[in-house]
Amino acid sequence: MSEEYEPNILAFLCNWCSYAGADLAGTSRTHYLPNIKIIRVMCSGRVNPLFLVNALQQGADGVLISGCHPGDCHYLEGNFYARRRFMLMRKLLEHVGVDPGRVNMSWVSASEGAKFKEVIDETVAKAKEAGPMDQFRRRQLNW
Amino acid sequence: MGDYKFAKDKLAEVVGALKDYEVFAPAAVGDVLRFKEVEDASSVSFDFKNTNVPPKELMFPETETLFKFRVGKTDIEPAVPDESKKRLVFGIRPCDAMAYTIVEKLYSWDYPDPYFEKRRESSVLFGLACSEPVPNCFCTSLGGGPGSEQGLDALMFDLGETVYVKTITDAGDTVAKAMGLEAAADAEKKAAAAQEKDALGKIKRSIDTEGIPEKLPSLYDHPFWEQFSDRCLSCGICTFLCPTCHCFDIQDEMEAFDGRRARMWDTCMFPEYTLHTSGHNPRPTRKERTRNRISHKYSYFPEKFDVIACVGCGRCINYCPVNIDILDILEKSKQAEAKEAKTA
Amino acid sequence: MVDETILREKAREVLARDDVRRLIGWKRGTYGYESAPAVLKDASQADELIFDPTCVQNPASFITLEEKLPVPRGQDPDTRKVAVLVKGCDSRAVVQQLVEKAYTRDGVIVLGVPCTGVVDRRKAQKMFGDTSEPVMIKEEGDKFVFIIDGETREGPRAELLADKCVRCRFPNPLVYDELVADEVAVWGADEFADVDEFEKMSPPEKWKFWEEQFSKCIRCYSCRNVCPMCYCLECVVTKQKPQWTRRSTDVSENTAYHIQRAWHLSGRCIECGECERVCPVDIPITTLNRKMTRDVKELFSYEPGVDVEAEPLLSCYNPQDPEEYIM
Repeated sequence: MSEEYEPNILAFLCNWCSYAGADLAGTSRTHYLPNIKIIRVMCSGRVNPLFLVNALQQGADGVLISGCHPGDCHYLEGNFYARRRFMLMRKLLEHVGVDPGRVNMSWVSASEGAKFKEVIDETVAKAKEAGPMDQFRRRQLNW
Repeated sequence: MGDYKFAKDKLAEVVGALKDYEVFAPAAVGDVLRFKEVEDASSVSFDFKNTNVPPKELMFPETETLFKFRVGKTDIEPAVPDESKKRLVFGIRPCDAMAYTIVEKLYSWDYPDPYFEKRRESSVLFGLACSEPVPNCFCTSLGGGPGSEQGLDALMFDLGETVYVKTITDAGDTVAKAMGLEAAADAEKKAAAAQEKDALGKIKRSIDTEGIPEKLPSLYDHPFWEQFSDRCLSCGICTFLCPTCHCFDIQDEMEAFDGRRARMWDTCMFPEYTLHTSGHNPRPTRKERTRNRISHKYSYFPEKFDVIACVGCGRCINYCPVNIDILDILEKSKQAEAKEAKTA
Repeated sequence: MVDETILREKAREVLARDDVRRLIGWKRGTYGYESAPAVLKDASQADELIFDPTCVQNPASFITLEEKLPVPRGQDPDTRKVAVLVKGCDSRAVVQQLVEKAYTRDGVIVLGVPCTGVVDRRKAQKMFGDTSEPVMIKEEGDKFVFIIDGETREGPRAELLADKCVRCRFPNPLVYDELVADEVAVWGADEFADVDEFEKMSPPEKWKFWEEQFSKCIRCYSCRNVCPMCYCLECVVTKQKPQWTRRSTDVSENTAYHIQRAWHLSGRCIECGECERVCPVDIPITTLNRKMTRDVKELFSYEPGVDVEAEPLLSCYNPQDPEEYIM
C-alpha cells in the first residue's frame, strides 16, 4: 500500500451529459484515476454550493461539478445558474483560505469520454498539489 | 481562614509555582477576553474588567462529550471528567463565582450532573475583587458585591503594588500555601476593606427585587412585554454570556462507525428551543420567549430554589445589540398593573 | 442635519393613520453610545423617537423579524402597513427586500432620514471609556460632541465614525415615501482597499486568520438574526431534518456556518455592517461579506440594494458569464 497521499474527490455529474460522458469513458476502457466518487444529479444546476462545504467537512480533498456545455443543458438553463454559483463559491472558499484547486468545474458532454478522463486527471492533480484537506475538516477535535 | 499577600510584580511566579494544578485565567484574543488554560504564567494579568464569555464554560463547556460509542459495540465509553485533575480558576469575579452557587442547585437537583460536578469539585476558585465595577453591574441588588465571598475558595484584592489574598476555604488555603504566599498584615486588610467600600459606591445601577418573583406570573398576559420583545433578535447573546444560564441541547454525532453524544449550549431565545417534533411551538414569537426568560430567572427559578437566577454581572445589558435592558424590564414590571395570575 | 421635531411630527402623522400597524425607528438607549430600536404602535409614542449619531441599528431588519402567526378561524389577518424610518444604508435593505419580494411596496411606508454617519461604539469606548448613562452625541463639523455622565467631550469625526460610514456612498435613502430632512452630500467612496489588502495573504495565512476568528464563535446567531437579508423562516444552519451543520461549536462547524451565511448573502449583502457590530466576540464578519460584494460587482456588474427593479443576482444569468476556471 502506497503511503503517498491519494486525494478523495467527490464528483457531481449531471445525468444527461457528464454522467453519460463518464459512462463512455468506462465503456471505452479508458483508464482514469480511481480517486473520484461520483454522485449523479439530474442537472449541474441542482448542485447546491453548500454541498461542497459539507463535502470538504466530511473528508473530500477536492470536488468536481460537471455539466452540459452552456447552451446545451437538458433543462435549458441549469448550467448557466451553476456557472454563476460556483464562480462565487470558489471565490468565497479561496477567501477563507481553501486552495482554489479543490473546487473544480467542467463541461463534459455525453460524447466526450476522453475529455472526462482528462478532467479527472487534472482534478486529482490539483487536489494532490493542494495537499490533504484538513482546514475545517471534521476532526473529532474535542471528542 | 487565612490572610496572605504577594507583590503584584511577582504574579507570574506565584501562578507558575503551582505545578500540579491546571490554571485558568482570562486571556485575550484581540479585545475578547475568555478564561483559558494558562500556558505562559507571565501572561496572567489583573488588568481587565470582566471576561466576555463567563467562566461558566469551565464547568459547563460550550460543547462537551457525554459518551462515545461505536456502531456494532454495545458498550459506551463515558467521558466524565477526571476528578483527580486539580484546577485553579484564577481571577474569577465574585459575581461569576456566585453564579456557580446558583446553578449548582439545579445541577444537583433531581439528577446529579456528573460532568458539571466533577469539574466543579476539582476546581479551586481564586476570586479577584472588583475595584472598578463595569458600568452596568448591579450585583449588590442580588446579594452579591465587589467583595462578595460566595462560592469562592479565596478572594484577592489588587491593591496596586500588593495583592491581598483572603482564603475562605481549606482548598483555598492549601493553594495559597502551595503558591508560597507570605502572611498579610493589618494594613493590607484595611486597604482591601477600603477598596471594597469604594467599589460599592461606584455601582451605579440597582433594582429592588422585593415582590418581583411573586408579581411576574400575574403579568403573563400583560402587553408590557412587547415593548422589549418587539426588538429582540432571538439571538443567544444574553443567554450564552449569562453566568447563570444553564440550558443545553444533546445531539448525537457520527463519523463513519464512531459516534459521540454531545451536549452544547442552547438558548430559550432560539425559536427551535421549544419546537416540538409535531411542528407545534408553544413559544412561537419573541414575546413568549422574552417573557419566559425573565420569568424563569426572576420567578420560576426562585420559586423552586429560593434564589433569583441572576447575579447582576451586567453582560446581558452590555452585549445585547438592541439595548434590551433587564433592569428596565424589571422596573417596568413593577409599574405594570397586574391582572389575575394565570395558572399553569 | 435632521430636526428631531420634524421627524417626530412626520412619524406622528404616519402612526395616526388607520392603515398603519407600527412604526420602527430609534429611541434613546438606557446606557452607552448606542440608541435602542423603537417599535411604536401609537401616535402618542412618537416623541420617544430620536435621530443622532447613536442610531446605529438597522430598522429594516425588524420589518422581516416580525412573526406572522396563523390567524384563528373567523379572524382576518392584520393587513395594515408597517412604517419604518431608514438611513441611507438601511434603505438599501428595504430595496433589496422589495427586489426579493419579501413584502410588497404598498405594505411599507418608508420615511427616509438622510444620514451623516454614526459613531462606532467600540471606538468611542476606547476613547472615552464606558458609562451606565445614555450618551448624547451631536455632530459639529469634523467633530463629534459627546455628553457623557454630564460632561462634554469631543472627538474627531474621522476616528469615531463607523467603518461603514467612512466609505458610505449612499447617505440618502434610495427608497422613501417621504424624507424627514434635506438630502446630504455624498462624502465617501469605496475602492474595496480592505479586500485587496486581505487578498495579499497566502491561503495558509488566510486560513490561520479565519481559524482563530471562527474558534471564537459561540454560535449565538446574532449576526444572522440582525441581518436584514437573513429572513428565511427556516435557516439551513438550524435545520435539523436533515442536519447540515452540527450544533457543536468546533472550528469545522463554525467555519461551515460562516461560509454558509456569507454564501447566502453573496449578491445580497447591502453592507449595513450590523453583523460585525453585534458580534459579542468581535469576529470581522464584514471582511468575509465584502469580498463577495466586490467580486459580484467585478464579475457580474451587480450591486444589491440600489435598484428596486433589478433581478436578484443568482436567479438570473448572462450567457457571457465568466468561466475561465472551468475546464
